[in-house]
Amino acid sequence: MHEQPLKEVTQLIHAIKVGLVEGSYNITNKTLDIFKYIIMSKSWQNADALMQIVRAQCRILQSALPQETVSSNIARRILKLTREEFDLLHAKVQHIADDSQASLSLHKLVTQTSESNVMSDYTVPQQGLREALLDHLQEVETELETSSENICVQAEEHIHSSEIILTLGHSRSVENFLKRAIKKRQSLTIIVAECAPACRGHNLAASLASEKNVEIIVIPDAAIFAMMSRVNKVIIGTHSVLANGGLRAACGAYTVALAAKHYSVPVIVLAPMYKLSPLHLCEQDAFNMVGCAEDVIPYDSIPAREAKVYSPMFDYVPPELITLFISNTGGHAPSYVYRLLTELYHPEDLEI
Amino acid sequence: MAQFEKEIVQAVLIADNNVWNFKPLSDEGSTALLPLVNVSMLDYALIALNRSGVEEVFVYASLYLQDVRDHIKAGIATYASWSFKMTVHVIGGEGCRCFGDAMRDLDAKALIRGNFILLGADTVTNADLRPVLEQHKRQAKFDKGTAATLVFKECSNNVRTGNELLIAVDRRNDRLHYHQRLKVHQKESRYQIPLDIFLGNSCVALHHNLLDPQIAIGSPSMLSLFSDNFDFQTRDDFVRGLLINEELLDSRIYVALLPAAQYAHKVNSWPAYQLVSRDIINRWAYPLVPDMGVYRLQQQYVFHKDNIYKSHEAHVSKVALHENVVIQAGSHVDSGSVISDSVIGLNCRIGKNCRLTNVFLMANVTVKDNCRLEHCVLGEGAIVNEDCDVSAGCVLGAKSVLPAKTKLAKTLITSTPTTQLTDDQEQQEAPVELQSLGPHAFIISDLTTGDPEDSDGDDFLPQQALSIPKMGDLLAPLDEMSYCSDHSEDDDDASRAVTPLPDDTNIFLGEVIDSLTRGYREKSNPDFLILEINSSRYAYNMSLKEVNFNVVKAVFGMQSIVEPANSNVLVAINAAFKQLGPVVSNYIKSEDAMLDCLKALEDVYEENPLVREKISQIVHYLYDKDFVSEDAIQAWYEQLDDQEHAQLRQSLAKLVQWLDQSSEEDDDDDDEDED
Repeated sequence: MHEQPLKEVTQLIHAIKVGLVEGSYNITNKTLDIFKYIIMSKSWQNADALMQIVRAQCRILQSALPQETVSSNIARRILKLTREEFDLLHAKVQHIADDSQASLSLHKLVTQTSESNVMSDYTVPQQGLREALLDHLQEVETELETSSENICVQAEEHIHSSEIILTLGHSRSVENFLKRAIKKRQSLTIIVAECAPACRGHNLAASLASEKNVEIIVIPDAAIFAMMSRVNKVIIGTHSVLANGGLRAACGAYTVALAAKHYSVPVIVLAPMYKLSPLHLCEQDAFNMVGCAEDVIPYDSIPAREAKVYSPMFDYVPPELITLFISNTGGHAPSYVYRLLTELYHPEDLEI
Repeated sequence: MAQFEKEIVQAVLIADNNVWNFKPLSDEGSTALLPLVNVSMLDYALIALNRSGVEEVFVYASLYLQDVRDHIKAGIATYASWSFKMTVHVIGGEGCRCFGDAMRDLDAKALIRGNFILLGADTVTNADLRPVLEQHKRQAKFDKGTAATLVFKECSNNVRTGNELLIAVDRRNDRLHYHQRLKVHQKESRYQIPLDIFLGNSCVALHHNLLDPQIAIGSPSMLSLFSDNFDFQTRDDFVRGLLINEELLDSRIYVALLPAAQYAHKVNSWPAYQLVSRDIINRWAYPLVPDMGVYRLQQQYVFHKDNIYKSHEAHVSKVALHENVVIQAGSHVDSGSVISDSVIGLNCRIGKNCRLTNVFLMANVTVKDNCRLEHCVLGEGAIVNEDCDVSAGCVLGAKSVLPAKTKLAKTLITSTPTTQLTDDQEQQEAPVELQSLGPHAFIISDLTTGDPEDSDGDDFLPQQALSIPKMGDLLAPLDEMSYCSDHSEDDDDASRAVTPLPDDTNIFLGEVIDSLTRGYREKSNPDFLILEINSSRYAYNMSLKEVNFNVVKAVFGMQSIVEPANSNVLVAINAAFKQLGPVVSNYIKSEDAMLDCLKALEDVYEENPLVREKISQIVHYLYDKDFVSEDAIQAWYEQLDDQEHAQLRQSLAKLVQWLDQSSEEDDDDDDEDED
């Protein structure tokens, strides 16, 4: 179990801790770079060895940064890719060896998978695996790069002219999404809840205000419920999507979702595929992260001496409060997340 | 090529600067490696530097050099978070006894190439020092004499740990003009600040609520200043010396304040240790909190509500942990025990039905059943047997074993009968027989003499035995403090006479007091004392008037008169003048000198409540012994302002009246009024 972390991995962990790398997109990108480097390196001879290295490094990342699930997600993607590529190449070799021209019939497919499950001998060295993997990795990279754009494209479908949209905090996907909507639609009103104590909502409002033809209103978090009755749609980003379709989102998201439920306002969550995590909400205490006490109350104040100060970073939003997920592949209902997960990751890799 | 090289940010960490307060653990290992919430203090300092973008650090250690070196090596091997993008060198030597020596040694080694960050190894901060460094660089461009920028943090004035100070700063350019440490145990009701500061500068801000976290940005000239002035021992000496000899040294000190959201504190005593531990657990020092995995790559704790940080590998029921607890891997707590506000180190074992509050257990500590521990520190491998009651600031050294049913309060315990050889020579001079509690438990004295490395700057105060500050209830001092400020004004006044002021007159006064006190104690020849005082006089360029004034003031400023035995000030004065009379009469000869003498008495009257009560008797005594003439007393009495000195006039009225009468009657009935 005592694997040595790679230099790149330790550097990434440090960079994330110090705050040099921020945002799930950047973290995903950097993690992908590391795995690409691992695949390119000569340190593995067969698929099994590669998968072990990937798993080991992923475990290190996970134990160091348990809240950053995106890096584990990308590792799962790599594992799945490796399995697929190996099976494909293996099948090809077998085909040539068998010289059986019969294509993959349904029957054959079923028997083959069971067969391959029995053997699944990834230790056999496979020619061309590295190249095939790198090719596929390129696809993943492109998907990552275009994910934000692909989400934005769907803005027109969801936002119509003279609607009132409410959002919370500052999510990069939401920012791009709304900017696109502002360009295409007339006279939108966007209400931004500031999301104290970091008040990142101010940044979003400033960024959106540079666009024309739009009215931006910044409200304190306490006014969310009061404003909700007028809102047509809630659009929020999220830190990650859990296996049941629930969210681990910025603190305040639960307030927004509950208020929206009360006024029957649809809640749309922008979540690129890499944020889908095969995790369940089980350990309540470890789920959240608690920030600096100074944000909430000044250190010098007398009550601060005896108070216990919590500044949680995340909220759990249950799936029943969410109307729709918009990912780079389209819109999905929360109940469909499990299906996406099985497509995205191999069942054996859910537990790394 | 050299000029194209990018200037790298360097930092100097001074370890073991202030070890006295951590007895007995400081005798057993480097205090820099003392764990604070299970991470050694050195690591906190290194992380702080790393977060501020420092690329090269010199850790300066004197004793335990090898330990520090090993620790750094181990840190790099385990991917400690400071080991990224930062090189750490451990330097130092056995010969280095104080902060000043370290700076001189650094200067000699010529390792520092530019402006550098100077930090104590015991500083815990989450501040980003880059803006401060930039400010310093700008200042240095503007003013070539910039020696250092001191970094302070605003704080509430409620809890005193000895790191608080009062400064006067020019508001236009943040230049430091005055620097004074505040007392630990009481609040000052008044401060004395030299008038020159306000006369010479149009815009002065006084800050009395600052905390000194021992962070500074130094110019290269700072090191050479230490080399040139071999008497600079501590950083406070440096500041004081520079403020006094500003023109002479052509160097100035600037000040930077940390913004409100940034935490900084120095851990230089057990109360500070307790305070900072609490702040870390309460997440004020975020992100330097246990569950962020600041030190190690892996996260070690899970954060639970009520500020409980529990390792996955700790065996403890949820009920046992009350609040504000950190419990590390491998520790085991049996049923029925309750823990709150505590830190439990690696592999500790706590028995049944124990009660732990404000307790700091280092690695491998065993606490047996039914113990009650409160406000104490248990060193590595210590064992507390059944039914013990340990409280109020006890510290148990490493591997000490406390026998069953011991009751302890305010005691320091070590495991070996003689303190180790690595300790200072003072111990070897007088091998003290230590009281024994058991085969591995010996009580050691918690008294420290005015420690030369102590940066409290109380060199001016008479040397007296101070006990190590101990842990206690952090909230209690708040009430006590306000109580003090109301009622202890008198004590305050008494001690203010010796409050250090960086002013020639005051230094002169201090020296005269020292000379007189020594002369009085050793019964030395008055002529020698006069010689001494005269040489001090020329050293500080005092006028005759000032000398007269200060000599009298010094006599009354002596410890024996300020705090006389049985509060009988008259007896003390009589004794003092018997010995020092010739010295005083050497100066107080003319009528003018007598007037100076009485004016000095007026000052003393303001400061010393005991003198205030007996003022008329004292004046009469001086008259009796022919130190002052009748005319002088009357002239002085006439000068006294009606409003300002109403009380003084009142006390003297009788005496003056009597003098008038006696002169009229030409009566020389002298010995009547004595007592």
